[in-house]
Amino acid sequence: MLSFNSPVQTVWHKVPVGWKFLLVCFASIFLFVFDSLYIQCIALLCCVLFYAVGGVSFIRIGAKKLLFLWPILLVIVVWHGVTGTAMQGIAFAIRLISIVALSNLMTMTSRLSDLLALIQTALTPVRALGFSTRALEIAIALVVRFTPVLIEKGSTLFDAWRLRAVKRVNWRIVLPMSLIAMDDAEHVAEALKARGGIRAFASSHERSHNTD
Amino acid sequence: MKERDVVFIALFAALIAALGLIPKLTLAFGIPITAQSLGVMLCGTVLGAKRGALAVMLFLLLVFIGLPLLAGGRGGIGLLWTPSVGFLIGWPIAAYVTGLIFERFRSAPTFLLATLASLIGGVLVLYVFGIVGMAWNMGKSINEAAVLVLAFIPGDILKAVIAGAVTASLLTARPQSVLSRT
Amino acid sequence: MKGRDSEPLLALVNVSYRIGDKTLLSNLSIEATERRIGIVGRNGSGKSTLARLLCGLNEPSSGSLTVAGVDVATDRYRAIRTVGMLFQNPDHQVIFPTVEEELAFGLEQLGQSRDEAQRQLRELLAEFGVMHWAEQSVSTLSQGQRHLVCLMAVILMKPKLVVLDEPFTGLDMPTTAQLSRLLEKLDASIVHVTHQIESLQEYNRILWLDNGELVMDERPTIVLEAYCAKMKQLGSTDAFV
Repeated sequence: MLSFNSPVQTVWHKVPVGWKFLLVCFASIFLFVFDSLYIQCIALLCCVLFYAVGGVSFIRIGAKKLLFLWPILLVIVVWHGVTGTAMQGIAFAIRLISIVALSNLMTMTSRLSDLLALIQTALTPVRALGFSTRALEIAIALVVRFTPVLIEKGSTLFDAWRLRAVKRVNWRIVLPMSLIAMDDAEHVAEALKARGGIRAFASSHERSHNTD
Repeated sequence: MKERDVVFIALFAALIAALGLIPKLTLAFGIPITAQSLGVMLCGTVLGAKRGALAVMLFLLLVFIGLPLLAGGRGGIGLLWTPSVGFLIGWPIAAYVTGLIFERFRSAPTFLLATLASLIGGVLVLYVFGIVGMAWNMGKSINEAAVLVLAFIPGDILKAVIAGAVTASLLTARPQSVLSRT
Repeated sequence: MKGRDSEPLLALVNVSYRIGDKTLLSNLSIEATERRIGIVGRNGSGKSTLARLLCGLNEPSSGSLTVAGVDVATDRYRAIRTVGMLFQNPDHQVIFPTVEEELAFGLEQLGQSRDEAQRQLRELLAEFGVMHWAEQSVSTLSQGQRHLVCLMAVILMKPKLVVLDEPFTGLDMPTTAQLSRLLEKLDASIVHVTHQIESLQEYNRILWLDNGELVMDERPTIVLEAYCAKMKQLGSTDAFV
């Protein structure tokens, strides 16, 4: 199972995923349209406050997830500095932090099943028009099921590498990982066919949903 | 669409995710790479244009609704307003173009063709989208944005060569599973 | 490398391994010089964790662990010359497309030239009578044959210790018999992690792990009898605990 939920429970966990999604969406657009340094600073402050409701350890987890941004931020600021728009560069850098922080906040405070339900909701009009979304639903279920499996098998390959080499793992690991994905795909396709194919799978899936 | 197609699309979306979540993948020169764009090229060469693009779109759909599947554990709709937006939007198209070229010229030597297809789709086409997206996001001109991404091009060219080599090996090891050639 | 042979094969002093607040191994102290050591235990008993520690894939959270005098977790240069491992599933161990490349990888990592690596791997292939495998794709081989490729890759690196993690799972009886005969002839010492205890009859010493602790450490006849009795007793109840 993919687990990325924060161990700390916050008030954001209680907000419905749909609202959080729209909120992140609107906030991002707003920050993009109104890009003055003043507004960006206020927004960043808001983000810090949003994380603060989860306590110190929650802020720490959130900050850690932003660390990967620093090279990009550096490039943005330096680049704008060189081209004579330093203030704008700083505003853009702050905006990037806020937008990524908000996106992360949603991910950290939502359950996987709720995020996936979001897709279901978004697909309702498509279904209403008479299109079948079963293939997509199965595909999504498979990605969620097999991403951890591939990571697990991939890390065994990493171990096999480390047992024989002091050098760090390099790109050559991509071939066996792709082979594993392809072999798993063949097995799953067989299993799916054996159970009556997509149609049967999807309708039983639907039934179990309706009885919830 | 047959179940086998659906399953391959899903498993390659999962492969892109797995390539990003496994840490510490480095190139020969010690440049850290996200193997994920390599995964995008492989979607094109292995699955073909249509299925390859769908696999990448499936992956992006899950990323945009908030699953942290992008390298570094990123995800969320907010990514649409970051400088890398053009690269993300360009990914499915890159896979499509890569696949289209690889499907078309079947008599060409596999390694060379897969490398060339990855270069055109996964580097050239992708960078057009990437640069436009970056210019839009940061309010700079196309030229300025192009200069900024120049540094990443050598790494991506190397990735295209790797994608070529991996594709050729996959075609030898599992000819019946390389959907673009069946 | 001088004087290393006088070091005990395994030397564990108060070894514990924790992930977060979960303790997977607690306070193991083992000194062993036997050439054939078995580790038995139920799923989740910590036996695979111990196998990973012995190979240096994980570092103990506390305590010290050496194999033939080498701190396998930190001294990776010596570790790959000291310990080899055979996984449960060869498909998760084979990294390269052809047999030749797979076998050459370890040798080249030991610092041997390409030519020297080729010479040695071909010699071994000839010894096993499978010279024609060299350029073959690993995927064309059967499950048992792939196991043999993995074993050859380990043998080529001449480790002092070979750790086996359930290597017989999924193999048919003839292949299991062939593989165990090969293992018996191996010069290296063996630590064999398994719950198929029949394969441990001829071993010198058996360690029984449960819940991350050492329950028994004795000759096979004694441990195996007690272990079988316990497993039968657990199996007769309906509670999945």
